[in-house]
Amino acid sequence: MASLDVVHYDSPRMRILRFGAGIFLVLYLLWTLVPFFVMFVSSFKDLLAAFNLPEVGDWSGITLFFDFTPTFKHYVSLFVDNNFSTYIANSLMAAGGSAVISVIFGSLAAYSLSRVEFAGKADLFFWIISTRMAPVVAVMVPLYSIFRALDLVGTLPGLILAYTTFNLPFAIWILKGFFDNVPYAIEEAQMVDGSTRIQAFVSILPLVAPGIGAFVVLCILFAWNDFLFAAIIGSGGAKTLPVATRELVQPQNIQWGAIMAAGVVTTMPMILLGLVIRKYLVTGLTMGAVKE
Amino acid sequence: MASVTFKNVWKYYGKTPAVKDLNIECPDGSFVSILGPSGCGKSSTMRMLAGLEHISAGDILFDGERINDLPPKDRDVAMVFENYALYPHKTVLENIANPLRLRSVDDDMIKARVDAAAKLLEIDHLLDRRPHELSGGQKQRVAIGRAIVREPRLFLFDEPIAHLDAKLRAHMRGEIKHLQRTLGTTMIYVTHDQLEALSMADYIAVMHDGELQQWGTPSEIFNKPVNAWVAGFVGEPAMNFVTCDLVGHNQEVFLRHENFEIPLLPDQVGKLNGAASAGTARMGVRPDALEISLTKPHQPSITGEVFVNELLGGDMLVEVLLDGSRIRVKTVPEFDGQPGDRCHITVNREKWHIFDAMDGHAYF
Repeated sequence: MASLDVVHYDSPRMRILRFGAGIFLVLYLLWTLVPFFVMFVSSFKDLLAAFNLPEVGDWSGITLFFDFTPTFKHYVSLFVDNNFSTYIANSLMAAGGSAVISVIFGSLAAYSLSRVEFAGKADLFFWIISTRMAPVVAVMVPLYSIFRALDLVGTLPGLILAYTTFNLPFAIWILKGFFDNVPYAIEEAQMVDGSTRIQAFVSILPLVAPGIGAFVVLCILFAWNDFLFAAIIGSGGAKTLPVATRELVQPQNIQWGAIMAAGVVTTMPMILLGLVIRKYLVTGLTMGAVKE
Repeated sequence: MASVTFKNVWKYYGKTPAVKDLNIECPDGSFVSILGPSGCGKSSTMRMLAGLEHISAGDILFDGERINDLPPKDRDVAMVFENYALYPHKTVLENIANPLRLRSVDDDMIKARVDAAAKLLEIDHLLDRRPHELSGGQKQRVAIGRAIVREPRLFLFDEPIAHLDAKLRAHMRGEIKHLQRTLGTTMIYVTHDQLEALSMADYIAVMHDGELQQWGTPSEIFNKPVNAWVAGFVGEPAMNFVTCDLVGHNQEVFLRHENFEIPLLPDQVGKLNGAASAGTARMGVRPDALEISLTKPHQPSITGEVFVNELLGGDMLVEVLLDGSRIRVKTVPEFDGQPGDRCHITVNREKWHIFDAMDGHAYF
């Protein structure tokens, strides 16, 4: 294995470059984190306090930003007046449901593609991938018309199906790579030891667990953050958080406080999920990249 | 325990035959080695036995019962894979216990059987470890443990010690042979290493290009090879081959070459079946059936020139240059011929072989 220690040669030019890189990173962090920070703080502010901003260029007025009495009234309005608990449940069901279905069918399909030789296998695999090549918008209209014909528009199963349509090829694609890395001899040993083909398949699932974990996270992220499907196919009966948040923007009244609170409610679970599984996600996405 | 019979077994991959018309009868309780170079069909043969490959044509019988259509789990065989194929996420204990768990054996029984197997293989102190914490030799023992824990009808060992270092391999040869004797279970052992086959097996099936070349005991394979290919594959250092003319006069038949003219023994003449008239033949003789000296002996000898000396500890291997070929002679380390020296080689004629120049079959 190559050494990870990079040799540094200090020169004036390198020092300037390093300083410049530091500045860039600080600015980049501000650019990324300040909106979250503003959203988070504003969700606890009264509307008047939220818009109580210092003049442009008045840096001493920055304390004004932190000068407020915290209030939970926006959160109360979300959950009491706006039914947000239902929308959270919808989001969870849509994201979780499509993740579970995609994992089940995806792992079975990926396993078959990895283990069984049959005519047209390469073409089939390419066809599966190719369904991800067109932008979502391109298939939206036909998909809508199909879903309407099947009475799936505005229902949670319809939304789950729509997400699964897009997550399943991705699942097959990711998981096939993981199955390819599991030596076939392990299943053969299982079968000689006395298991059926299905038992042998189940027995190697722990070995592809990092891949399944990585996929589940990406799948949940996709569904949770999605707006397009949710707005068009889920609209009405299966409203999810992004759509519900969008509806807080009304012609006469933009409910800034509630929007900020909804933003916090929507982003927090995903940020927490990301922090918790960060380590596994990286392992999952890079494992098998280099043959050991 | 079971006897294993192959009846006209063929294996095709697409249109390529990997095993051609194989007929073998392995007696109950015997240690049978399938020997051949890579690509000779020996692994396909084993995988057909285990049920991991379809049998393209013919039948395989265990104790006279046709098993072609049984899935692996119903064949009651245990297999040790070349790369061990341990379950990486399970402990040694669970790896060995796996075949019993799949058969819903109760926990006390599993514990007892695993402990017994682990003790036999001297891995009882490793039961809590996982495969990645083990050395190659330990992994191999775990793989064997998984095979012997449930007393199957048949053991299949697929080059189990090919990846071990030379010293450990020598040790494991003895261990495996002893294990098979102790358990008494029929064992089919696939290997490309002729030394393993010769030292361990009761019977050897030598395969080449998908065809069974010879079936016999190790001593038959070594001393009476049926053709030049088997003779050249078995034995280390390998047999020498020299193409010569067969010349007959005065009731005697001579092997003639630019460097020698040696008569065959009287009983060997009869075995030629009149092939002397064919003209040419290949003489095969192992390096240890030759003697080399720098002075010309009385009996007929081969005259050559020392090409190179290789000291192998207790022996010395001398490569001798003849007209158009080289032969290797095993001698004592004290032999002091230097490269370029003229030397004379006498042949132990009891131990030489004559092969047909065209198809390579052995006359004797």
